[in-house]
Amino acid sequence: MATLEDSFLADLDELSDNEAEMDENDGDVGNEEEDVDMDMADLETLNYDDLDTVSKLQKSQRYIDIMQKVEEALGKDSDGAEKGTVLEDDPEYKLIVDCNQLSVDIENEIAIVHSFIRDKYKLKFQELESLVHHPIDYARVVKKIGNETDITLVDLGDLLPSAIIMGISVTSLTTKGSPLPEDVLQKVLGACDRALDLDSARKMVLDFVESKMGSIAPNLSAIVGSAVAAKLVGTAGGVSALAKMPACNVQVLGHKRKNLAGFSSTSQSRVGYIEQTEILQSTPPGLRARASRLVAAKSTLAARVDATRGDMSGINGKALREEIRKKIEKWQEPPPARQPKPLPVPDSEPKKRRGGRRLRKMKERYAVTDMRKMANRMRFGTPEESSLGDGLGEGYGMLGQAGSNRLRVSSVPSKLKLNAKVAKKLKERQYTGGATTSGLTSSLAFTPVQGIELCNPQQALGLGSGTQSTYFSESGTFSKLKKI
Amino acid sequence: MSSLLLKTLTKKEEIDRIIRDTIDEVLVLRFGRCTDTVCLQHDDILAKSVTDVSKFAKVALVDVDSEDVQVYVKYFDITWFPSTVFFFNAHHMKLDSGTADHTKWVGAFHIKQDFIDVVEVIYRGAMKGKMIVQCPVPPERIPKYNLLYKDV
Repeated sequence: MATLEDSFLADLDELSDNEAEMDENDGDVGNEEEDVDMDMADLETLNYDDLDTVSKLQKSQRYIDIMQKVEEALGKDSDGAEKGTVLEDDPEYKLIVDCNQLSVDIENEIAIVHSFIRDKYKLKFQELESLVHHPIDYARVVKKIGNETDITLVDLGDLLPSAIIMGISVTSLTTKGSPLPEDVLQKVLGACDRALDLDSARKMVLDFVESKMGSIAPNLSAIVGSAVAAKLVGTAGGVSALAKMPACNVQVLGHKRKNLAGFSSTSQSRVGYIEQTEILQSTPPGLRARASRLVAAKSTLAARVDATRGDMSGINGKALREEIRKKIEKWQEPPPARQPKPLPVPDSEPKKRRGGRRLRKMKERYAVTDMRKMANRMRFGTPEESSLGDGLGEGYGMLGQAGSNRLRVSSVPSKLKLNAKVAKKLKERQYTGGATTSGLTSSLAFTPVQGIELCNPQQALGLGSGTQSTYFSESGTFSKLKKI
Repeated sequence: MSSLLLKTLTKKEEIDRIIRDTIDEVLVLRFGRCTDTVCLQHDDILAKSVTDVSKFAKVALVDVDSEDVQVYVKYFDITWFPSTVFFFNAHHMKLDSGTADHTKWVGAFHIKQDFIDVVEVIYRGAMKGKMIVQCPVPPERIPKYNLLYKDV
């Protein structure tokens, strides 16, 4: 910001030149309206010291025309609107639409003037900007303080709440600003006046629109109130345009988009102008979202009635409002008290048997094992062995018979398909843990070529290298096989 | 909350009627005096649990001091108050609780859950067709008493 300050100081030196420019501008009443919607980026690069280069709205023709008409209309009594005529042809309606647009423009203008005042007044009292946020309040405070160094002498009681006044007094003692030179001060005060003028003009326009809303769109104003109705109609661009919108769009009309890229918008509530209605202000915050949806829906219906001018007395609107009120009240009722529930009749509800993987695994623990199955079967024609010998004691069935090669049958209990790696590990573990290896086998082998060689005992059982059994290995996926 | 107070029966016809009219529900009849402290404790337990078992049981109190009812007192051989007799579909249900007398429950229940358990066991047994059921209450909570037979 050092560069900006420097540019200000430089500008102050050129003041005398710009005095002449200012007079010229004042003389030019019939200026074309220039585009007032400037981005903040443009503002910073502007030559800033002259208010009129920044704020042109008041001089524009459009502004003057509309303000004139508004004053006329406020003066005379309006005759009752004819029922059935197309809304758009009504000249008053056109004025309303223009007024809406103008009020938006005035708001932008006020913002621009506010930044002008703020930048100039920073030299005097920097912290004021962060203490008083509202632009109009800021303008009023600046006007009252003027060039005064001791804030306690200034009476701000009717402008601000006392807490903020206290804050201002405290910070003014430690502020590093200095009183402004006379001409800058005059400019600042002029800008404040401009801001206040714009504000009062805006108020006038809004009041006018509000008073006319009752005849333009009585049902809509019955539900949401004339101020919000005016804003909605203005943003939509006409009552028929508002009527054509679906209710979900009406709900977000006027929603200020605050989410930056990357932040989720699920935590924001998507409510626009509807949030300012008195219905919504009086509902508890938990019900606001539901209520806003409801109000948006009913106000869309009312707007549709108004667009076709079906009911100019507003009865429909009042009925809808009553409906909304009743619904919101019903939502806020406490839930009915819990009755103590009697116990159910014994054995009246059959037990629900559940299935699933967990149950199956539990059942496997008690299932008949393969060993027992083998023991239960018998081979035809050969007598079975038994524990006590000679047919006494428990019979062994197929266990230990000549055909099968082990006494102990493999103990993989479940029918689950095991992963290839897991299966291989299981087989290895079985082998090493099993009792079928004879105690006389050794891993050492005497070969003629190498002498004593340590061989893989599993090779004999065909578990060693996969290529012995099949081309596609049972247990491995890819393995490099080198036979030495 | 219609059952804030348990129904008290004083006449024989009332007892007959209620036994006849309770269909597919356990009927619990307590014989006792409303002034006795043990009876009061027992009645308190009964009153608290009557809504819980309301789907499969009905509870009524019989005042043992009225003359009509003496017939039943003699029939059921009720000497200790309170005594509770259980019926199901007009059959008298017996309860084996380890005491000498199976035809009734003598004394007060210690906790509400005991009473509900007893009623449930009687219901299950009766639905299966049994006339006598095992008492589910653990022996610490069964009131003990001595039966006198002709003052012996």
